[in-house]
Amino acid sequence: MEITKVLPDDCISLIISLTSPRDACRMALLSHAFNSIADSNAVWQMFLPLDYIHIISNSSSPPSLLSLPKKDLYFTLCYHPILSHNGDMFQLEKESGKKWYMVGARALSIQWVDTPRHWTWISLPDSRFCRVAKLKNVGRLEIKGKVKLNTLSSNTNYEAYFVFKLVRDRYGFRHTPVELDVSIEGTAAGEVRSVILDPPRNMPQQAKERVDGWLEIEMGEFFNGFENDRTVEFSLREDHDDQPKRGLIVQGIELRPKHKNNR
Amino acid sequence: MSEVDMAVIKPEMMKSYIWLQTADGSIQQVEQEVAMFCPMICHEVIQKGMGSSKNYAISLPQRVNPAMLSLILDYCRFHQVPGRSNKERKSFDEKFIRMDTKRLCELTSAADSLQLKPLVDLTSRALARIIEGKSPEEIREIFHLPDDLTEEEKLEPLKNTTDDPRIRLLNRLYAKKRKELKERQKLKNIEVEEERVDDRSVDDLLSFINGDNGDSKGIKNSKSKKKNRRRKDQQKNTSANEAIKNHNKEPNGLNQVCCSAEVGQTVRAGVGATSNLHDVEDDIFDNKNELDDGDIDDEIDPALKEKIDREVEDFARRLNSDWPERMQEILSFGHERKPVHFSLNGNGSLRRYANSEQR
Repeated sequence: MEITKVLPDDCISLIISLTSPRDACRMALLSHAFNSIADSNAVWQMFLPLDYIHIISNSSSPPSLLSLPKKDLYFTLCYHPILSHNGDMFQLEKESGKKWYMVGARALSIQWVDTPRHWTWISLPDSRFCRVAKLKNVGRLEIKGKVKLNTLSSNTNYEAYFVFKLVRDRYGFRHTPVELDVSIEGTAAGEVRSVILDPPRNMPQQAKERVDGWLEIEMGEFFNGFENDRTVEFSLREDHDDQPKRGLIVQGIELRPKHKNNR
Repeated sequence: MSEVDMAVIKPEMMKSYIWLQTADGSIQQVEQEVAMFCPMICHEVIQKGMGSSKNYAISLPQRVNPAMLSLILDYCRFHQVPGRSNKERKSFDEKFIRMDTKRLCELTSAADSLQLKPLVDLTSRALARIIEGKSPEEIREIFHLPDDLTEEEKLEPLKNTTDDPRIRLLNRLYAKKRKELKERQKLKNIEVEEERVDDRSVDDLLSFINGDNGDSKGIKNSKSKKKNRRRKDQQKNTSANEAIKNHNKEPNGLNQVCCSAEVGQTVRAGVGATSNLHDVEDDIFDNKNELDDGDIDDEIDPALKEKIDREVEDFARRLNSDWPERMQEILSFGHERKPVHFSLNGNGSLRRYANSEQR
């Protein structure tokens, strides 16, 4: 019994679309019949996020992306983030097709960010966004962000990371911890984490270095269920000691699906 | 229902039944609420008024044989009861799909023809779980698929819409492999040609030497032995160069005299050479190669090109025999976990890629 003689193409498409993008790539090499089915739009459309048309239409990316074969579009979205009109960035995680999301500094609520003696906007070549916020001097630090859950992949555990850099002449972050918090609006607040962004050399470094040269520190995690008309809120705060702080560069907050085997 | 039908109904049979006929001709009656769970049957009953008696039995699609129908009806019988909890239904489903892969495929097909989507989803998920994570060979075995893609087809240059340097690297490797394959093919053609040449010249020589006596048969036998030896030698080689060396080492003096010139000329001519048997194919191949190489090479200076070539060879060595499949995987799935910015620093990005392959 050869399966292509038993099952019609659209059943085989369904089965392949229920595996993973990686499996679908492998299956294109099985046989002639599988080659065309495994590469078909019917399969790869299922790996794209449900709202991919909406995302691309509301972004700075050319609408010609939508006329690409779906498999090509999938990998384009994996390797090239899409910048949406409201300043956020989308990308797809290759293995699962789930969304990676980044809120740029401009879309965050940073206290005093528009006051030039406190914060300034600069351009750094290794950042995804054209402008990042550089801290000149504040006593109280407050950075907040929020994301509507329906922009993210549903039925997914997400982790939120604060993406930042510290310049050489920085102060205020060595001994004073900042408080990180992630919670879904309307639910009980998640645990508040207290971390030191710039520990001295003999202390453990909680922030991790990213491939793009920036640092990231986990703020918390949340589960995006199916009823997602709510918002998830993030905050980073240091408002206890009123000591001057300087030299922090904020790129944004990145949201990624959580993986059990990572870290 | 006609009066005749009414007379036949016995009091205890107040339940309504639907009559179904499978492609093998057998007819059975099924409780109405069970059968109507299938959209296709529902449609036949409501829109066309079929199924009310044996004579008007609904003809089921060919993909539904009696065994599959029985399974489907079991499924419908359970799920059409409204009061069951989700837990009960899930539990039933898990036990229900415990069957061999062949039956799962047939069941998917039958359920699909009856438009019974929940069952199609259930069986499809079960089949997806069976094949996910398996290698192409394993999947071919499970589904009895022929391995009918030629090596050339597996080596199709990958579309590089995103201008990914890794895809460029892979396409370059594919192009190299295709060239090798083609050269191997050419040598096979040369073999055919040189046999022809051999025949003529040996025959000429024989007729000259022996005056058309029966010795030609004996000579031909020993020639075919040499042919086989040569073929075996060729199969062992993976590169055109080694094949040529073997040719030259042939102990048979005649072959060397007749063919070394031919071999030398054809292979040295390389890409441009054509042979009678594979003219058109070669042309298409050549054009493809030229286009691809042109695409890849136009902005790269010779020094960098050499480095890239070395990287490609190194890469090829590291990926052993199941490379077409692994190649597809590596192309699409590398070892990246985080989004990466590809700066146009040629050395940097190539090196990064090579390192990530060293596992």
